Amino acid sequence: MNKEELEQITSYLTFKLGEEEFAAHVSRVLSIMEMTKITQIPKTPGYMKGVINLRGQVLPVIDTRLKFGMSAAEYTANTCIVVMEVEVGGENVQVGTIVDSVQEVLEIEKDQIQPPPTIGNRIKSEFIYGMAKIEDKFIMILDMDKVFSAEEIEDVQASTERGRQQQPADESPQEAVNEKHEAE
Amino acid sequence: MEKFTEKFIEEATDNISNLEDALLKLENDPGSTDLVERVFRSMHSLKGGGSMFGFTKLSDFTHHLENLWDNIREGHLQVNQGLLDITLQAVDHLKVLLKEKDELSPDTETTHKNLTVQVMKFLGEENTADAGEGVSDSSSGDSGDDSKTYYIYFDPAENIFDDGTNPLFLLDELNSLGQCKIIPYLHRIPVLHEMEPVKCYTYWEVILATQEDENAIHDVFIFVQEQAEINVHLLSNTNLFNNSSFLEQLEQQASGEKDLGFEGFRDMVDGLTAKEDSAEVADNRPAKGSGSKESTISSIRVESEKIDHMMNLVSELVTTQARLSLRAEQLKDSELEGIAENVQKLTRQLRDNAFDVALVPVETMLTRFQRLVRDLSGSLNKKVNFTAEGTDTELDKNIIEKLTDPLLHIIRNCIDHGIETPEERSKAGKPEEGKITFKAFYSGASVHIQVHDDGKGIDPEKIRKKAVERNLISPEASLSRKEIFDLTFHPGFSTAENITDVSGRGVGMDVVKRNLGEIRGEVEIDSEPGTGTTITVKLPLTLSIVDGLLVQIAESKYVIPLSAVDKIYAVKHSEVVDHFNNLIVLDGERTPFFNLREEFHLPESENETEEIVAVRYEETRVGLVVDNVIGEYQAVLKSMGKMYKEQEMISGATILGDGTVALVMDTNKMIEKFSSYQEDRNSIVE
Repeated sequence: MNKEELEQITSYLTFKLGEEEFAAHVSRVLSIMEMTKITQIPKTPGYMKGVINLRGQVLPVIDTRLKFGMSAAEYTANTCIVVMEVEVGGENVQVGTIVDSVQEVLEIEKDQIQPPPTIGNRIKSEFIYGMAKIEDKFIMILDMDKVFSAEEIEDVQASTERGRQQQPADESPQEAVNEKHEAE
Repeated sequence: MEKFTEKFIEEATDNISNLEDALLKLENDPGSTDLVERVFRSMHSLKGGGSMFGFTKLSDFTHHLENLWDNIREGHLQVNQGLLDITLQAVDHLKVLLKEKDELSPDTETTHKNLTVQVMKFLGEENTADAGEGVSDSSSGDSGDDSKTYYIYFDPAENIFDDGTNPLFLLDELNSLGQCKIIPYLHRIPVLHEMEPVKCYTYWEVILATQEDENAIHDVFIFVQEQAEINVHLLSNTNLFNNSSFLEQLEQQASGEKDLGFEGFRDMVDGLTAKEDSAEVADNRPAKGSGSKESTISSIRVESEKIDHMMNLVSELVTTQARLSLRAEQLKDSELEGIAENVQKLTRQLRDNAFDVALVPVETMLTRFQRLVRDLSGSLNKKVNFTAEGTDTELDKNIIEKLTDPLLHIIRNCIDHGIETPEERSKAGKPEEGKITFKAFYSGASVHIQVHDDGKGIDPEKIRKKAVERNLISPEASLSRKEIFDLTFHPGFSTAENITDVSGRGVGMDVVKRNLGEIRGEVEIDSEPGTGTTITVKLPLTLSIVDGLLVQIAESKYVIPLSAVDKIYAVKHSEVVDHFNNLIVLDGERTPFFNLREEFHLPESENETEEIVAVRYEETRVGLVVDNVIGEYQAVLKSMGKMYKEQEMISGATILGDGTVALVMDTNKMIEKFSSYQEDRNSIVE
């Protein structure tokens, strides 16, 4: 399948970080694996957990919670590594992302996706492709290429730091969205 | 057909570089007939292939060149500078022709015309570019026609069309060798309803008068030897086409039904000349590959992609084998252990073999260097003699590919800034001709390449001064000689303007260093003002495998390249923690050390003893404290990818037998990093 055909697909993989639910387009997801022993690389930022052996290849693994500025969590039986292929600087790069749990594959039609809130959002709005309301929960659809672009890796920490200072940590994105809707 | 054309281009590229190489060698040894033969042969194969695959322009152009060199071969012309110049230019042009095929850009068209005219001039002919075929080589005034007449029997197999061969092209090519009479025999063609259009029913007899030797004729058929009956016989030592009664009889035969055979033609000729001594009885050797190809039979051409793929597979195998051995050991099954041991042995042999295949001699780069020296010294009016030693030293082909550009840059610098003009040199009491020596040799687990020139050299004091001006070092800094020369690789140094006035070097040296860094290479420079400069490039033998020492640090395993390891010592834990000056006495020698747990911000070890791996760092030894040494390990190096590009201390990762990942240290970079941290720490204390 070429890129355009892939983008026509409306399937998304959803996963949880804490209580919040996120979604990534299936075209980016290669596989889901159980948590395994990660080899740490000395002197790297905390969210870069290290590398694992993925069928003979060395795969960098990133702790998504830490990357999004959330607090670290103990790994449980549900903790998974989602192997994704993202485009960084015009090159396809494979990367493993640690998530608290993988939920399901959802069909989300284009018209169900609303633009992301511009304010009051804990994660940098550039990372978010849009929001979708499925049943009564809101799912944040991530733009995986942007999340992992090399330049963002530095920025993300700074911005989440700021984000935490600007709003209380317990405020959920759902409330943020509601606020936005009220504002409209 | 596409595929064949590709193959031709590949082969032609080889032929062209072979040609270039021979020409450059001829420059030093103009009398060598072997080299002239080589030039001629390369041209000949180029011409043949070119016309076969529709590179008419290339083929025609080579034809003229070939004529020119034929004259040299025959001794009518002497090899001289002018001739080499024009041929080398022609070689460049051939490269362009190969790229553009027959649709030439206007620029190329002009060059094409100019060069053709020039070549013609050498041939003593003022004809224009379109003189075409039938050029007779009479420049030497030797008016005699020294063509010989051959009989050729060409009977293609019925299925010859199956792989796209068109016999007519081959006949065309024969025709281009000289004067030619081609007689087709059609009597085997069945009646229409029985005829299968995909089969070839025709066969031919050809009478060819040519100056080429028999091999040239065999060359024409080289690709169809298997699918045709081909007989070539010398019919006469003269050009029979000058004999009118022969031509008459030939015409008669041409309208005949059946082939006459060599015997028949020989009788015809015998009757003609009425000479008893048909001295030159044709040899009845069956058609065979030509001499020029014989030398290549012992080797085959393989796409480099296939080699890369093979190397990957072998790497996988090495990893899997490590797993098998580990498992066998755990299970304590003696039979399985035996098998694992065997697999290990085989894997090692296979690995050595595969790496051997991927190795390429340094020699393959040399032609480009020689050409650069020749052209650049010419345009700068300098006299430079380039010699190379140890050219059979072999390196991973991927390394060679990435090495050529940095080395070209280094040599360019040598000529441009190192070697003085002949006047300057004689004033300094040196021979007018400068010398650049290229030397490749093995040194431990790496290959060293040295480029030495006997030019004006670099004054370390001047580098130092410039570095101070550029704020790269403080005026008080005390630097070793090596450190000073290392400054030339600093990006801030080389971007400086007018650097040539200061040191004559440094332009782009940072790029050289960076490019070499990509293939784990290192570069050093040393120079003596007035006597010359030596640049040494140190390279790993291969990119993909490292002989290493597997060590444990906290929960992770690391590989330290064996090439850096000097000795291993056991130490007490208390000796290597909370040290103020990080010095320990090893073998009576005060050795600086780094506790890797500490440096990696890991919790302190609880073991009573630890081990220190002493590694070589520049001229000294540095100890690295690890939990314990596990043993030797062959690490298949894997890249850690873009995400960890900034991570310099680790040169890659490798997968261990149990499937976990170990990190391969770059000890030089690591120690460099640690020392600079320490300086920072010290300066904070101050």
